[in-house]
Amino acid sequence: MIRIAQLSCGPEYSGVQGELEKAAEMVGAELIFPEVSLEDVRNVEERFGIEVASGDLNLAMARATRIVENPDLADAVFVATCFRCAEGAIVRSEIRKYIHENSRIPVLSYSFTERTTAETLLTRMEALVTTAKFKGLLSRERQTGLTAGIDSGSTTTKSVVMRDNKVIGTGWVPTTEVVKSAEAAYNAALESAGVKREEIEGLGTTGYGRHLVGKEFGAKLIQEEITVNSKGAVFLADAQKGTATVIDIGGMDNKAISVQDGIPGTFTMGGICAGASGRFLELTARRLGVDITELGKLAMKGDHQKVPMNSYCIVFGTQSLVNSLSAGSRPEDVAMAACHSVAEQVFEQQLQEVEVKEPVIMVGGTALIEGLPRAMEQLLGLKVMVPEYAQYIGCVGASLLVSGLVED
Amino acid sequence: MVKVMVYPPTSMILADLVERTGHEALVVSKEVRKKVNTPGLDSPPLNMNPDDPKKGLKYAAVDVPSGVRGRMSLLGPMIEEADAAIVIKGDSCTLGCTGCARTNELTRFLLRTKRIPLLELEYPEDEFQAKQFVHKIREFLEGLN
Amino acid sequence: MKATKYVVTSQDSDVLPSDIALKIYELGREINVKETCFGVIIDGEEEDIEATVKEVRAMDPSNIFIKDRGFPPGDPRRCRGHRGGGARPGFYMMQHESEILPLISRGLASEAEGEEVPSSIGAKKRPSLEELEEMIEEEFS
Repeated sequence: MIRIAQLSCGPEYSGVQGELEKAAEMVGAELIFPEVSLEDVRNVEERFGIEVASGDLNLAMARATRIVENPDLADAVFVATCFRCAEGAIVRSEIRKYIHENSRIPVLSYSFTERTTAETLLTRMEALVTTAKFKGLLSRERQTGLTAGIDSGSTTTKSVVMRDNKVIGTGWVPTTEVVKSAEAAYNAALESAGVKREEIEGLGTTGYGRHLVGKEFGAKLIQEEITVNSKGAVFLADAQKGTATVIDIGGMDNKAISVQDGIPGTFTMGGICAGASGRFLELTARRLGVDITELGKLAMKGDHQKVPMNSYCIVFGTQSLVNSLSAGSRPEDVAMAACHSVAEQVFEQQLQEVEVKEPVIMVGGTALIEGLPRAMEQLLGLKVMVPEYAQYIGCVGASLLVSGLVED
Repeated sequence: MVKVMVYPPTSMILADLVERTGHEALVVSKEVRKKVNTPGLDSPPLNMNPDDPKKGLKYAAVDVPSGVRGRMSLLGPMIEEADAAIVIKGDSCTLGCTGCARTNELTRFLLRTKRIPLLELEYPEDEFQAKQFVHKIREFLEGLN
Repeated sequence: MKATKYVVTSQDSDVLPSDIALKIYELGREINVKETCFGVIIDGEEEDIEATVKEVRAMDPSNIFIKDRGFPPGDPRRCRGHRGGGARPGFYMMQHESEILPLISRGLASEAEGEEVPSSIGAKKRPSLEELEEMIEEEFS
């Protein structure tokens, strides 16, 4: 049973402690509260570096120092404070950095409201437990044998076939009915690889539809997309040694993952927000009358500063773009403004929660829209790389990891 | 007999001094007791659920964090019931129900502005201060009758 | 409704938790008693508990303190053993206040004996700017 140390302020009083415990139970873990003494709490300034006004936050920091002193106390850490609490957000961020810098224990940081449910937390908890439990599997660097992966996403379903560490076939379809789309993508990948389904030694599934597809296809590995995507990303970018940061802006959400020596560490996942995902770019492309595959090239010729955007929201954001077009703005500038808006949101929200270390790797279908990585480069002041098969990182990661299970 | 809220509302010392003088001490553990003894609720550890922060909207707006509003759903009714209050100034070991500084600030504010008899003092650090501490509290409580 | 209370003795008290437990058994009410390192936890019907604490306090009024507890004793929702270790927050507060209980006891004893309350000693005086400057000169010369 994976023991996740809960360092928190407020969930019991927000009525969501039960949801946190349910989420942990659903992923085969339990929440624990490492013992600290009154002296530890009183001396938190000396031990951790700061004492704040809220006692529960001091207690959380005291627990963090105990865990670092004795890493056997917990397999993972979950730091949680109320959404909108500045004191909480600052302490949460410092606890995350402290544990990351002083131990190898994976940390999940989250801000909850009274509406947080176990389902909201599930993917994050799953990723945390995977990182704690499957370090051996996650350290795998090469794909061996003949394996395949299916990424059943909210917007698109992708599949790859790999042999001896190379991608030999790919398939990509829009997601309509989950299993049917998976069939179509998988068949396309098998066909382009020139292999039969029976020859595949192991299949891994990921994405929103992973459980359904995994069960239907008898997958050996069913894994959430945080660990799998980051694994696929560093594999494709040949960045499995040292640090890396993976930014995955998908069709409906976005993630940022810090990776160390090929193993995902801290990660954040944005809440479902159309304005901070590919959905906004789709809408922009449609409005500009271009195919989504052309939006990127158009944006590269534009200047986002010429098109003021008043809102990150997809509804109001689109309105801003429409107003600009009516006022005579060039489509190139509008396209780049849309890319910049999405990149900026991810920069301001997700990228403040992870350690951004080079190389910065952008993945997901949206990474192929050239304006988006360019906008991210401008915001970060760092080079952003988009590896080949960037939209297939989920299935590549799944295929790579499942080959480890096949070998065993 | 008067209802006296103590701050911190978890203080054994203040609650005891109030009750031995024959008044009723309003302490948060009594609110917790009501919650944990309510059948049909199963929300660990305190049987608080997402409706409680909504109840707390009476005391703090929706953009105030849920932990503040949740704690206020416990403390607010106590403040409303209080005919008098004793408040300890300065830091003390405030955790759990008193683990949020914003909630504590709001509680002290609401008690002060309620215009009820209010005694504010600090925890004693030596015997001399302790004698003054106990004496002031006894005088205050006896004066409430 | 059922109620739960702590009966805590200050370190200066001659009354032991076992003495308190015995007294409560003698009173014959339907009260559960659990001894702990700092005193006892008792639970039962509210009226029985209220009547009992009055009599228990009388054993040593200056050194016995009563505190309400929300949870019944050993409740798994709060029990250290069940909830993955770690004391519940209320424990730290009790520990914190227990440290000054002997002082409060002395204050109560003093009140009980009708002792005159000492008036305040002059407040600590801050040095004036000139005095501070003199001290700095002296130290660094």
